[in-house]
Amino acid sequence: MRLLRPELLQWYGLFGAALAWAGQHVVNIGAGLAHCTDASRHWGMDIVTWTIVVSAIGLTFALLAEAAAISVLLETRDAEYDGAPPAGRRHFFALAAALGNVLFIVAIILNVVGALAATDCRQA
Amino acid sequence: MIWEERPGVLGWLTTVDHKRIGLLYFFTSLFFLGAGGVEALLMRTQLAQPNNKVLSPETYNQMMTMHGVTMIFLFVIPMTTGAFGNYLLPLMLGARDMAFPRLNALSYWLFLGAGLFLYASVFMHTAPDCGWFCYTPLNTSTYDPGLNVDFYTLGLIFTGLSTTAGAINIIVTTFKLRAPGMSFNRMPLMLFALLAVSFSLVFALPPLTTNLVFLELQRKLGFQFFDVANGGDALLWQHLFWLFGHPEVYIIILPAMGIATSIIPTFSRRKMIAFPLVALAELLVAFIGFGVWAHHMFATGLPIGVLVFFAAASMMVVIPSTIQIYAWLFTVNLGKPDFRAPLLFIGGFIALFVIGGLSGIMFAAIPFDQATTDTYFVVAHFHFIIFGAAVFPILGGLYYWFPKVTGRMYHEGWAQASFWVTFVGTIVTFFPMHLVGLDGMTRRVYTYHSGYGWSTSNLIETIGAFVLAVGLLMIFANLAWSRFRGAPSGPDPFYGGTLEWTTSSPPPPYNFAVIPTVSSPYPNWEPTETAVEVGESHETPTSTVRDGLLDEVVHMPSESGWPIVLAAVVSLLFVMLLTSHIYVAAIFACLGLLIVAAWHWHEPEQQA
Amino acid sequence: MSAVPYTARSAKPNGWWGMVVFVATEVTLFATLVGSYYDLRFKTPRWPPPGVPDPKLALPLILMAALVATSIPVQLAVGFSRRAQARGAQLALLTAMAVQVAYLAVQIHLFADDLSHFRPQGSAYGSIYFTLLGVVHLHVVVGILLEAWFVVRLFGGMTRYRRVGIEATAFYWHTVNVLAVAVTLVVLSPSL
Repeated sequence: MRLLRPELLQWYGLFGAALAWAGQHVVNIGAGLAHCTDASRHWGMDIVTWTIVVSAIGLTFALLAEAAAISVLLETRDAEYDGAPPAGRRHFFALAAALGNVLFIVAIILNVVGALAATDCRQA
Repeated sequence: MIWEERPGVLGWLTTVDHKRIGLLYFFTSLFFLGAGGVEALLMRTQLAQPNNKVLSPETYNQMMTMHGVTMIFLFVIPMTTGAFGNYLLPLMLGARDMAFPRLNALSYWLFLGAGLFLYASVFMHTAPDCGWFCYTPLNTSTYDPGLNVDFYTLGLIFTGLSTTAGAINIIVTTFKLRAPGMSFNRMPLMLFALLAVSFSLVFALPPLTTNLVFLELQRKLGFQFFDVANGGDALLWQHLFWLFGHPEVYIIILPAMGIATSIIPTFSRRKMIAFPLVALAELLVAFIGFGVWAHHMFATGLPIGVLVFFAAASMMVVIPSTIQIYAWLFTVNLGKPDFRAPLLFIGGFIALFVIGGLSGIMFAAIPFDQATTDTYFVVAHFHFIIFGAAVFPILGGLYYWFPKVTGRMYHEGWAQASFWVTFVGTIVTFFPMHLVGLDGMTRRVYTYHSGYGWSTSNLIETIGAFVLAVGLLMIFANLAWSRFRGAPSGPDPFYGGTLEWTTSSPPPPYNFAVIPTVSSPYPNWEPTETAVEVGESHETPTSTVRDGLLDEVVHMPSESGWPIVLAAVVSLLFVMLLTSHIYVAAIFACLGLLIVAAWHWHEPEQQA
Repeated sequence: MSAVPYTARSAKPNGWWGMVVFVATEVTLFATLVGSYYDLRFKTPRWPPPGVPDPKLALPLILMAALVATSIPVQLAVGFSRRAQARGAQLALLTAMAVQVAYLAVQIHLFADDLSHFRPQGSAYGSIYFTLLGVVHLHVVVGILLEAWFVVRLFGGMTRYRRVGIEATAFYWHTVNVLAVAVTLVVLSPSL
């Protein structure tokens, strides 16, 4: 398991925030569409609460992924991005992930801002 | 010698060699570039003056639809993934061929079959006429009863088969056939682009296929997916189409970015700045691109609470492209740039990409999009991106790798002239479209009245289109002439960093006599001392996926006639489906299965 | 030239990876179909529409469980192939095929029975219901054909090529079984 740990952290750091964004994006879109149709009148959920909760869960996973990426980055700080694997490869992925995850975190926050600003079902 | 090609026409019909297949893709997609270009020039001639009578409305609709379908499905994708991808991928990896050589051949013959199937409609004057995205309800048998839309649905399912096969091949080859030592972080940037494209295709094509199957079931059998009266949803078509369609536009541009990131280090004579970020940016563009699809639907009346998510994601998707642009510009500026033709085309690409990207990001703002959607402003945007940002790197890449493929140098002075003519032609054709779109000219109109103030711009655009055509002809004339009269190039005329430059020009059928080991993403600039001798006949080494460690030796198949035969049977299957001969179609399907069985009957010799 | 000495193989073979990527396209296809199901459902106040019976639960769920159970003999076939035991692999595959063919036969009967009560042309519900089920059954047919192919080939003994093929087929089947569960639950969801 000790040998697996940096490997698992590397993969989670690389994919975690991306999948978290994708997940909360799809769920929020689906919920938004469902909320605004006839068929969902009887579901009775508050769309704002739902959006905040789903986005918060996504944001948590994304922030943890960023933490994972940064921890692998620090662990491999002596390796070059084009260095020998596994250290070089982990450094490369962690570097890319640490910067890329910022994008996904901002994207999730933007989603929340948008959802809070425009919650009604009127046509755009 | 390790292995040879079968000679003659039979050799070409049964080839499984990635370089020959790449060339077949190149010439076929070039033909379709010509066809799409003729369609464009016909449209532009019709639009040059108000109330023109060059084309009837129905013919115009068919030209317009086929122009889009041809350029996207029959030119750009096959040229980038089929021609460039197939030819270069094994060479850049240090491999002897693709992972599945016979599947590779099949994907080409299916492409040819699909192209011929679609163009049969043009010769029958029943070409698709609903626009390249062919919305419901226009695409139903109530409003478009002829075979036009059936050619569209079946033709695009057909091309999808070819493209999916190609994507699978690229992914498995990139994962498994790397030279020893080429871990993920030591892959050339072009390969990250090809990987991103292939994964995008894998996930984007199924929604299109589903949509097309739904449509064909509705048209032929009366199913009710899109018919509101029976509980269907007209917007379902748009959701499914754009779930494919938006990733598709990143699919169009990603290989071009890969070509740019190959040319820039070579001609700047330094490594790419921020290599890990550029590699990531290529994957990020593809990934985020799956989340923005409804920005094509901002004017459909969807609820604002849903559309904001797409506006947010659309603003985010521009950032990875921007990272790449800055990395490219820094690399050129910090290097010692040599502005021969390949880098000149990349310079033109960056300029056109910035313009097209800026107009694109404007659409992320919902109010702006609602004012300009379906106007020529959109047409301007996507032509700057598709022509400027996807085709310019293809043209630069043709010059760049021409010496590798033919063993001869192109004519440099003529190449530079051809760049300027093409560049000026592009600007003159597409820039006025921004203005005329903001002035209210809508898309897809076959003519317009003279009092709107659009006439001068349209005339200028038409002149530009012919200048652009001349530029393209100059490029291909240069390549054709140089093929026979160019100076010998040697293996490495530009001192490139990647492995294709370490073998002869053109490469031998087996690519590398010994497989180089790799310790850098620029193995020609930082070579290792070691190499791996592999195989007495038709063998290639495979690698582990993450770290590129030598894994085992596999036996590659030799020439086979099954791919072309299967492609022919599949073509007939589609013709039967088009003409609603379901039982004959079923027979062809069974025949296809038998051919697949025959194909796999003889196993490549293996140590058990 | 000397051949590279074989090391202990640690990576999955090319053919297995090819199947994985192909399966990814099929999973995406099903995700799209399920998404379309819910898109149509959200737009329809009564689902199923009036005149269309609610889906029955008992038999489809039993069939689903039976299909999922065939993952066991399929995986056993993989184990036999890895130990170069051709006969064992054939028997395991034949066991799986027997259950799967029976599953398919009953499903075709249910499909035809449904068609006698409501038609795909009558409503969006019918269209998506029959399309979803039809596509999943097609995937079951393909899986059975793959197994049949290997049963026939194994009469000539086990080779590395066939072993890789059986591993790839097993991956295909495990995925199809998961997809069948998902599709069954979606299609039965109005009654759940």
